[in-house]
Amino acid sequence: MKRKFVVAASMAMVATLALSACGGSSDDAAEEGGPVTLSMSGWSLATTPEFQVLADGYMAQNPDVKVELKEYDPVNYNTLLTADLAAGSGPDIIVQKEVKFVSTFQEGGQLVDVTDVELPDDIGGTEAYDIDGASYAVPYRQDSWVVFYNKALYDQAGVEYPDGSWTWDDFAETEEALAAGLEGTAAFGGYQHGWQSTVQGFANAQVPDADILSGDFGHLKEYYERVLKLQDDKAQVDFNTRNANQLTYQGEFGKQKAAMLTMGSWFVATLIAQQAAGEADDFDWGIAPAPQYDESTAGIDNVPVTFGDPTGLGINAAVTGAKLDAAKDFLAYAASEDAALSLAEIGITPALLNDTVVETYFELEGTPDDELTEFAVSTHKTLPENPTSSKTAAIQNILLDLHTAVMSGSEPIGSAIDAAEERFENEIGD
Amino acid sequence: MTGLLAPPEDARALRKLADSPPPRTPRATSPWRRIGRIGLYLVLIVAAAGLFAPFIWMITSSLKTSNEVFSIPVTWVPEIFVWNNYVEIWTKSDMLTWLRNTLFLSVVVTFLQVLTGSFAAYGFARIRFPGRDALFLVYIGTIAVPWQSYMIPQFILLSELKVSNTLWAIVLLQAFGAFGVFLMKQFYETIPEDLSEAARLDGLSEYGIWRRIMLPLSIPALASLALLTFVNTWNDYLGPLIYLRNPDLWTIQLGLKSFVSSLYDTNYALLFAGLVISVIPIAIIFLLGQKYFVEGIATSGMKG
Amino acid sequence: MATTTATEVAAQPPVSPAPPAVSGKRRRSRLRRRNTLLGWSFILPNFLGFALLTLVPIVVLFYMSLTNWNVFGTANWVGFANFERLIGDGSFRISVLNTLYYSALHIPLTFVVALGLALLLNNKLRGVAFFRTAAFFPYITSIVAIAIVWNLLFSPDYGPINEILRFFGMENPPGWLTSSDWAMPAVVIVSTWRDMGYYMILFLAGLQTVPRELHEAARVDGASTIQRFFNVTLPSLRPTTFFVTVMLTINSFKIFDLILVMTEGGPGQSTLVISQFIYTKGFEESQFGYASAASVALFFMCIIVTVAQFLLNKKRSV
Repeated sequence: MKRKFVVAASMAMVATLALSACGGSSDDAAEEGGPVTLSMSGWSLATTPEFQVLADGYMAQNPDVKVELKEYDPVNYNTLLTADLAAGSGPDIIVQKEVKFVSTFQEGGQLVDVTDVELPDDIGGTEAYDIDGASYAVPYRQDSWVVFYNKALYDQAGVEYPDGSWTWDDFAETEEALAAGLEGTAAFGGYQHGWQSTVQGFANAQVPDADILSGDFGHLKEYYERVLKLQDDKAQVDFNTRNANQLTYQGEFGKQKAAMLTMGSWFVATLIAQQAAGEADDFDWGIAPAPQYDESTAGIDNVPVTFGDPTGLGINAAVTGAKLDAAKDFLAYAASEDAALSLAEIGITPALLNDTVVETYFELEGTPDDELTEFAVSTHKTLPENPTSSKTAAIQNILLDLHTAVMSGSEPIGSAIDAAEERFENEIGD
Repeated sequence: MTGLLAPPEDARALRKLADSPPPRTPRATSPWRRIGRIGLYLVLIVAAAGLFAPFIWMITSSLKTSNEVFSIPVTWVPEIFVWNNYVEIWTKSDMLTWLRNTLFLSVVVTFLQVLTGSFAAYGFARIRFPGRDALFLVYIGTIAVPWQSYMIPQFILLSELKVSNTLWAIVLLQAFGAFGVFLMKQFYETIPEDLSEAARLDGLSEYGIWRRIMLPLSIPALASLALLTFVNTWNDYLGPLIYLRNPDLWTIQLGLKSFVSSLYDTNYALLFAGLVISVIPIAIIFLLGQKYFVEGIATSGMKG
Repeated sequence: MATTTATEVAAQPPVSPAPPAVSGKRRRSRLRRRNTLLGWSFILPNFLGFALLTLVPIVVLFYMSLTNWNVFGTANWVGFANFERLIGDGSFRISVLNTLYYSALHIPLTFVVALGLALLLNNKLRGVAFFRTAAFFPYITSIVAIAIVWNLLFSPDYGPINEILRFFGMENPPGWLTSSDWAMPAVVIVSTWRDMGYYMILFLAGLQTVPRELHEAARVDGASTIQRFFNVTLPSLRPTTFFVTVMLTINSFKIFDLILVMTEGGPGQSTLVISQFIYTKGFEESQFGYASAASVALFFMCIIVTVAQFLLNKKRSV
């Protein structure tokens, strides 16, 4: 009796799963005419205003549509979203927090094809959402990695400010000079956060013909050797100490423990807010473009190459009818200049970065007003940190293990790269 | 035969008698003994300090500003004491709601777990029926599967039952685990059969035996199970994360994490302040309840 | 279980002698049916919840291990392909070895320390309540705080542990969490420190079941403390030690959150354990079918060891 019960129950479960997997429950039948309510996912709503800004901006232009936000935990966003989508209770507008999950959602049939949504011409970041010739999400925000530098510490060390022409060798030289100049104080030349992207993001984007999807990781060698030298020379805090003490980049740069920092452009808004609240010291700072692979892309006459992933909006495949039209319209709004301007007002770098938007961005109080900063924020060729592919997540995991092994000094870069390439063959192959 | 079964109240009195210190012998006051005892206390105090160290660091960090928490070198004393962290947690966040939810969940889950677990354990320990051992193995086997492995099918199931996003989801998840059954079964096995036999001859039903004999005799086990279940439910983060989406359903762990974090940024000072507040009830419950772990069972007079 | 039949027999009116074999068999099957109903009546409340919420999803999990489900799409049957892939998967092999390494260290260490603590704190020292609470505190302290403080203690250049080792003459103290050779032992130490209070409670409760008369009798007979421990305490403690051993084993095989916060499986893959492998494959790479297969493998690992412990325990208690 007990055995039969279990079998029956499990068959029922499997049936339920199969049913729910085949398309999700569409219990929100389209209402022809009349008010439409769209739900949109978001994280840390109390401290991340961008979602409400987008929602409010759209609702102001379209009074008969209501956009409601669904709060998610930021760290476990994809896990929670996955669970909800699997159970058929996902939001109508799905914010694509990380590019490496887009292909999973798309392959699982969770996203609507939004190729027909009209986008402004000069919007950046759309390649990340192109799969098999169709587009599955619309970018509203594009962050890119730049260099933040502390003018006060530069002065103290007697080093000249960056002029936008750096290659990585110049960057390393400057950091060593800063470290020497700041010897005896608590400040280091630079700070490098523990993420794998601080080394690999640049390497993947800047080295010609580098492609992690091919399983060839030799291009990482030079970048890691440079970083390890900076660590050994004590120009920056070493990886192990950084991890042991769980240092934060906001703390290190904000409390003037490092003269410069490579970080994504999202830090601008945080830094300004922390300086205003007194949580960060009051000092002059600026932004320089990311150091380049070689001279060909360096300098303010060229377009520097850096990396960064866009954040975009997708539409739940369960949405149909009038709701779908409203949803597509909302996506078009999010990519438009109106939305870009309202996002720039709160210190976010939108995907659409034309002159008007850049101007508005710099009107925010606390943003540095020098020319180099403006150049760094507005002019860049930003390549994706995560190429859109179903293999990306697995590859990134292999590379993460490489990162921790090399940076902690447990394994030399040469053998680590060989091991990673072997793992690629073994675990990903084809 | 029933005369040999001392009722629990008398049993406790007997135990107190047995536990009272023996008459002082000259040996007890030897100087070596005293030194040994002092040495023991010293060792215990140093060990206790080590055991409390992370907690002490947590307390001092909760009084720093957020950018001061992590630094090199590590600071144990804050530069300025930011008492405001506690005020902020208590007033600006929804701490009372979280406390209420967490308390509700912990109490209900503990009650159900102890009740159904000890009830089922009696069936496994004392009653022989076909398939008993195999079924018990299945119970234990389920403990062997990590929760995140079957989390998604479980979530889909609970969503279909429309219980997801209610507190009952957590109750259902935690109250019927195999751990309680396993623990109580092991303890029931230490209770001599003769007691139950005697009671059966007196006409007591199996349910009566469970209530009148097994339960009172297994207070240490019940107390342990209750405490561990309470602590686990109180500190549970992943379960509430997946199932409790409405902010007014959040538990302390969930609410705190959300209150202090944004995508790249977590205000650890605030978080630690909240965690300190959250640990206090458990510490108090433990201090008050730990004497039940060592409450004796009277089996004196019974030959096993 | 002769008592029940005795009662039944006593209650029945005398009957003319019937062929004993038949009536005995009927009585036995009636007894078995009665016991089955009785047993199930006790188990049912717990079993209903358990079956619905735990057993059913786990059965689904087993089914999923034979498919290539990625949570959203349909689950296509692939038979044992996932398991074949597991066998050839280098990372999985590493995670199994790491898990076994962790368990081999953690289980005996925690067992001994927890038992020792329970024995030590099972008496009426003044302030014993405080010390018991201290032993339990690591278990209720936030894992984040634990990870940070122990990271500091283990810091190779500045940490107190290496300072002490250097003081005693060790020239090259281990790199602990920064070294792929020493990260796992470091994790074991922290994990034992955290778990000992938990198992101490279980042992404390178990020690209460040791009959005092046996102790007294042994003392009167002249047995030393150690002899009493091995000949009286330990044997009486068997149900508890069995329980603790099984739980310790299963929890060690399943270890996840502490390692995740302390090392995230690093440096490299030196502290990658099976649970993290499952989580990564399932939730970060969305290969749920494959992750389910790994879960099933972990399940069988635990079951084999548990059954062995069961059989050993049965043999000992006969």
